Amino acid sequence: MQHILRLFILLVGLFAGVTCYAADKAPALTTPDQLGPEIQQPIKFPHFRHAGDAKDGGMQINCMYCHTYARRSLVSGIPPVQKCIGCHRSIMSVRNKPRIKKLFEYWEAKKPIPWKKVNDIPDFVRFNHERHIQRFYFQLDRPYQEVCGYCHGDVKKLTVDRREKPLTMGWCRSCHMKDHPISKASKKIGHGPNDCFTCHK
Amino acid sequence: MTENDFNRRDFLKVLGWGGTAVALSGCGNTSIQDGKEVITPYVTLPDYVIPGIANYFNTTCAQCGAGCNIKGRVREGRVLKAEGNQHSPVNRGKMCGLGQTGVQNHYNPDRVTQPMLAGKTVTWEQALGAINDKLDSVKGEQVAFLTGDISGHSRVLLDNYLDALGSKNHFSYEAASPAVLRAANKKAYGVEMPRYRIDKAKMVVSFGADFLGAWITPVHFAQQYAQFRKGSRPEGRGVLVQFEPKMTLTGANADRWVALRPGSEGVMALGLINAAAGYGLKLPSDIAAVVREYTPERVSLDTGVPFEQINKVAKLLVERSPSLVLAGDAAEGYVHGMQNAVAIAMLNQVLGNVGKTIEAPASVPFPQLAPAVGNRASLVEFNKGLAAGKYKVVFTYGTNPVFSAPAALQFQNNLKQADFKVAFAHYMDETAQAADLVLPLASAMEDWATVVPEYTAAPEGSHAGTYVHMSFRQPMMEKLYPDTRGIGDILLALLKQHQPDDYKDFDDFYSYLHSAVVKNKVALGGKASDDDDEFWNATVGKGIVPLSGRANRVSARLTAADLRLPPVSGPDSAYPLRLVPAVSASMRDGRNANEPWLQESPDPLTTVVWDSWVEINPQTAAKMGIKEGDIIEIASRSGSIKTQAYLFPGIHPDVISVPVGYGHHGMGRYADGTGANVYSMLDPVFEEKTGELALNETNVRIAKSGERVVMVKDEGAVGGSQAGRAKIAVQWPIDKVDYSKEV
Repeated sequence: MQHILRLFILLVGLFAGVTCYAADKAPALTTPDQLGPEIQQPIKFPHFRHAGDAKDGGMQINCMYCHTYARRSLVSGIPPVQKCIGCHRSIMSVRNKPRIKKLFEYWEAKKPIPWKKVNDIPDFVRFNHERHIQRFYFQLDRPYQEVCGYCHGDVKKLTVDRREKPLTMGWCRSCHMKDHPISKASKKIGHGPNDCFTCHK
Repeated sequence: MTENDFNRRDFLKVLGWGGTAVALSGCGNTSIQDGKEVITPYVTLPDYVIPGIANYFNTTCAQCGAGCNIKGRVREGRVLKAEGNQHSPVNRGKMCGLGQTGVQNHYNPDRVTQPMLAGKTVTWEQALGAINDKLDSVKGEQVAFLTGDISGHSRVLLDNYLDALGSKNHFSYEAASPAVLRAANKKAYGVEMPRYRIDKAKMVVSFGADFLGAWITPVHFAQQYAQFRKGSRPEGRGVLVQFEPKMTLTGANADRWVALRPGSEGVMALGLINAAAGYGLKLPSDIAAVVREYTPERVSLDTGVPFEQINKVAKLLVERSPSLVLAGDAAEGYVHGMQNAVAIAMLNQVLGNVGKTIEAPASVPFPQLAPAVGNRASLVEFNKGLAAGKYKVVFTYGTNPVFSAPAALQFQNNLKQADFKVAFAHYMDETAQAADLVLPLASAMEDWATVVPEYTAAPEGSHAGTYVHMSFRQPMMEKLYPDTRGIGDILLALLKQHQPDDYKDFDDFYSYLHSAVVKNKVALGGKASDDDDEFWNATVGKGIVPLSGRANRVSARLTAADLRLPPVSGPDSAYPLRLVPAVSASMRDGRNANEPWLQESPDPLTTVVWDSWVEINPQTAAKMGIKEGDIIEIASRSGSIKTQAYLFPGIHPDVISVPVGYGHHGMGRYADGTGANVYSMLDPVFEEKTGELALNETNVRIAKSGERVVMVKDEGAVGGSQAGRAKIAVQWPIDKVDYSKEV
């Protein structure tokens, strides 16, 4: 028995050490200002300019004009470079701004822009944009900025996007427990699925 | 270390507690890594792509020669998984485990990625230049190609290249191929590869044909078999009897599995004819005269099968017509393999099955696209040519002879006679390692090809007699390694150096194939008025091109004079056991051994993973004091191997069996050193009519080496001690198992 105890202490010590080390190395979930870390993107994309309110100098473009797959796919999609160019080739007023010059450099080299992923969830979680957009935007007819904002926060006020919500399971569940009508026409009340396999397939 | 003598059991116990602690402390949100990953958008987006949603592209499986039509699931430019194409007459929407592993062939980390000359990385220009330099100094007849099965437009280019060089030396070698059967079928029915209709038969008697495992086109046969077993079929549920020395997957599914003495399959077939005559089967008088001497008693003595069983099977065969009798690997691997197969074909003939369950296949209307099917006789011939110094420049493609040729053939040595050896290689396998120049091949999921399978399955219908199809293989994604090239592209580049004018219109194999297809669009099912590109897109999109083939006839052609069987040989005193090399459904001849899914999928009968094993009958093992997990040294006159013992009641007591395909040295991280290569120890014995290497003619003796291992396998009590168990676990009836004692 004694050697089992000795082995136990040894292994517990080892695991504790590894755990402390791992905990030390892990990036903090939120920064002191309750947001995700600031991320350096290849181009400092101004979300506020594209999606922001008119009074703030924004153009109030629908999020899904660029993130066009959000309503049709698991992922919302980063727009292909072609899409940026589609508009910007005819917006001469900003053609010589450094960011737009850089955009055209990528386009002319036919190179994709290596955007950094801002809202990351672990690989064992399957999050589906389509389900959320279909339910809240199309069936419940809520404003798109509110719907996208449930998870992404107030992106229209940001330049480069930052994660604004924890995106943890507990946080997802906090919303999935809430009751809401299932469609605009119906008085039926439902809530998001809470089965493990819905997200952990 | 007396102070710290932790044993394994204690360690595992404590690890159990510790594991919980880690699980609790490890529950952080540490896997969110904002800003670490890169999302690469498309520059321009193809119309049909929605990121996150997969597209499917039809293609053709390349994992074996059956030519199943499949579709690849492609997401964001990466192929993820293969599924069966439901419009295929071959596999009808289904796939096998070997086919599924195709993605591991494609993504394999041990692929050859660069041309290599004498071990050094070179450019393609240097590589092709080196080939031409060598070819300039030799005559056409000194050039030889050794390939596996090859068909379609790659074969056309290969033939054209050989013509350009003035060489006729194309050898098509497949280690596991039904070559003797082809010759016997040709003699018995007039065609090499008829259509077998298991689904139409009321009874199937199979002499070691593992049609559910690895025989000819197993996915197709498995579907026929499913029909065969349906009680709701007009013919009723079929009966399957399997005669073989070592149980195959098909044998395990049979209603009656009969172990017979290896090599006595022909005797059994003639015995069945004679016994069937006793149950009212009418025989031509000359055949009756030949089979008369094969009385149940004599056959019983020769084959080791009780004569009641012989009579029972004969009676069933007479009662259940039409039936189908198949001659498989177990029947053909002998010096008299052809006679065995012919005797078995005679059984079909007298039972009236020819034309009913053995149907005529159609031939491809373009003979140049027909498959050059592989056999083992061509390896023997190639080897002789090498030994005589006839070939100075040799090319190998789609086959690994250094691995699969028996050591007694001295193939590796003979290969050194050739001055310049070029290997078209996917892995740096044994043959590629022996080569001077290694050309890296694109994977089947990156390459264009057309495939015409040897076995021409047809959909039901009035056109079945002339139906034959060509399948397309198209790239599922961009090349993983830009310096790899498809076989078609390489052959085209080589041809351009000889006949630049003839091939100047074709930039690559794709343009060659495109032009060949649209030029012949009428023959390929289109109309002359069809737009070229539309026709091409539709054809490739479907992946299957039905062709109006040439109808053949099958007829019963055997006479009594064809039935000549040698007496069954007695035991060899120095080497008392017979070795049957087994071709398993997943490992086949071992060309895919470096794909870990195949190594880890348990063998259907023994459940062993990641190693080879030797199947020994428990009676034989008990006599020698062998227990499961003993390392056994198996010695033949030509070599020896060592592997773990597996006691298996599904094997004749005088037979042992080792699966082929294991025991690579230099194929890749998953294959190397896993198991033992049983090909290496086979005796060089040849089938007398066809010259095929006879795989089941090796006598061996076995001895315990003294070492033991705990077998890694799925079967047996979970967590139970396997070591030292002398016999197979007792199967308890379900109501007698006391689950309260289960952990």
